[in-house]
Amino acid sequence: MTVSRLRILLPLIVAASCASGCAPQRAYLWGDYDSALYAHYANPQDTERYVERLGQIVQKAEVEKDKVPPGLYAEYGYALFEAGRLDEAITYYKKEREQWEESQVFMDKMIRNTQRLKENRPGPAPGGELPPPAGTTPGAAPAGEAK
Amino acid sequence: MNRRGLLLPLVGVLFLSLGCAAAPPKKDYTAFHAANPRSILVIPVVNNTTNVEAPGLFLSTLPIPLAERGYYVFPVNMVRRVLEDEGLSDPNLVHTADTGRLCNLFGADSVLYVSIEAWTAQYMLITTQVTVEFDYVMKDGKTGDTIWKERKKIVYAPQQQNSGGSPLAALVAAAVQAAATKAAPNYMPLARQANAEVINTPGVGLPAGPHHKEYGKATDSGK
Repeated sequence: MTVSRLRILLPLIVAASCASGCAPQRAYLWGDYDSALYAHYANPQDTERYVERLGQIVQKAEVEKDKVPPGLYAEYGYALFEAGRLDEAITYYKKEREQWEESQVFMDKMIRNTQRLKENRPGPAPGGELPPPAGTTPGAAPAGEAK
Repeated sequence: MNRRGLLLPLVGVLFLSLGCAAAPPKKDYTAFHAANPRSILVIPVVNNTTNVEAPGLFLSTLPIPLAERGYYVFPVNMVRRVLEDEGLSDPNLVHTADTGRLCNLFGADSVLYVSIEAWTAQYMLITTQVTVEFDYVMKDGKTGDTIWKERKKIVYAPQQQNSGGSPLAALVAAAVQAAATKAAPNYMPLARQANAEVINTPGVGLPAGPHHKEYGKATDSGK
C-alpha cells in the first residue's frame, strides 16, 4: 500500500520541486541585475550604492566564469568610472573584452578614453587640488592596450 | 530589387495576420538569417505614454531575456550614458539616428528599437486593470534593414477567486487586492511576460543566438 502510494507521489514531488526550482533555468547568474539597473536609473546620484550592488552581483557570478552575464563587467566598470575609480574601471573593461569578443570595439574605446582621462587628471594642478590617487605607483600597469 | 523581394512576403504576412487569427503566420526570417547578428545594441526606449517611470523600468527588463536567448547584449546603462555624451540624450533622437552609425560607435551587429505604447492602470470598482503594450524593431547594422519585429499588448485584471469561500470573503479579498494594486500597480511582471513571449515564442520570436545551445538548429524559429 504505502509503496504503491510512494510510487505515485514521488514523481509528483519531483515535478513540483522542479516546477518551483528549475523552471527559469538561466544560462547566466544575474542576481538582482535588473532592479540594480533600475534603481540607478531612478536615482543617478546614488553611485556608491550602485557600485556596491553591481560589485556583489559580479562577485557571485564570478564563482562560475562562464556564467558571468554579457555586459555585467562593463556595466560595473562604468559604475566604477563614475565613482572616479578609473584604474578599477579599466580592469573591468578588460575583463569584459576578454570574456566577450563582441565587446572589443566598444571596450577598446572606453579603455583608451579612460586612460587618456587618467593621464590628464593627476597633472600638477596649480592650486594643488588634485593629489595623485593613492594606488598609483610609478611604472606600474603599463598601458598594454590592444589596437 | 532586393527591397521588393523583402517587402512582398511582409505584405503577405500582414494580410495573413489580419485574416486568420487562429493560426499565427510564420515569419519570414530570410533577412534575419542573412544578417546573422551576434550582438544587440539596446538603445533607450521611446516613451509614447505619460508615465515618466516607464522607460527606465522597461529598459532594465530587456538585457536578461535577450542575453538568455544567446546574444551579446551591450550594457544598457553604460550605452545610455555614452549616447548622452555624444549629444544623444533624447531617445527619440537616438531612434532617428542612422543605424549604421550607431553600430559603428559600439561595434554592434544590430540595434533593438523599442517603444512603449501603453503603460496604464485603469481603476474600476473592485479591481484595477493594468495594460502594457510594446513595439520591438530590430535592424541590421550593415544594411539598416529591419530584420525582426513584434508588437505585444498584455492586459491584466486580477480575477476574483470564488473557489470555496463565502461570497463576502471573496469580495473582501478582491477589494484588498484592488487596494494593493491601486497603491502601486505592478507593471514589471507584465513587462517581463511581454518580453518573454515576444522573444521566445517559436515561429515568431527571436531565433536563438550564437551563445545559445539551439543556435542554428532546424527546430529553431524561422529555420
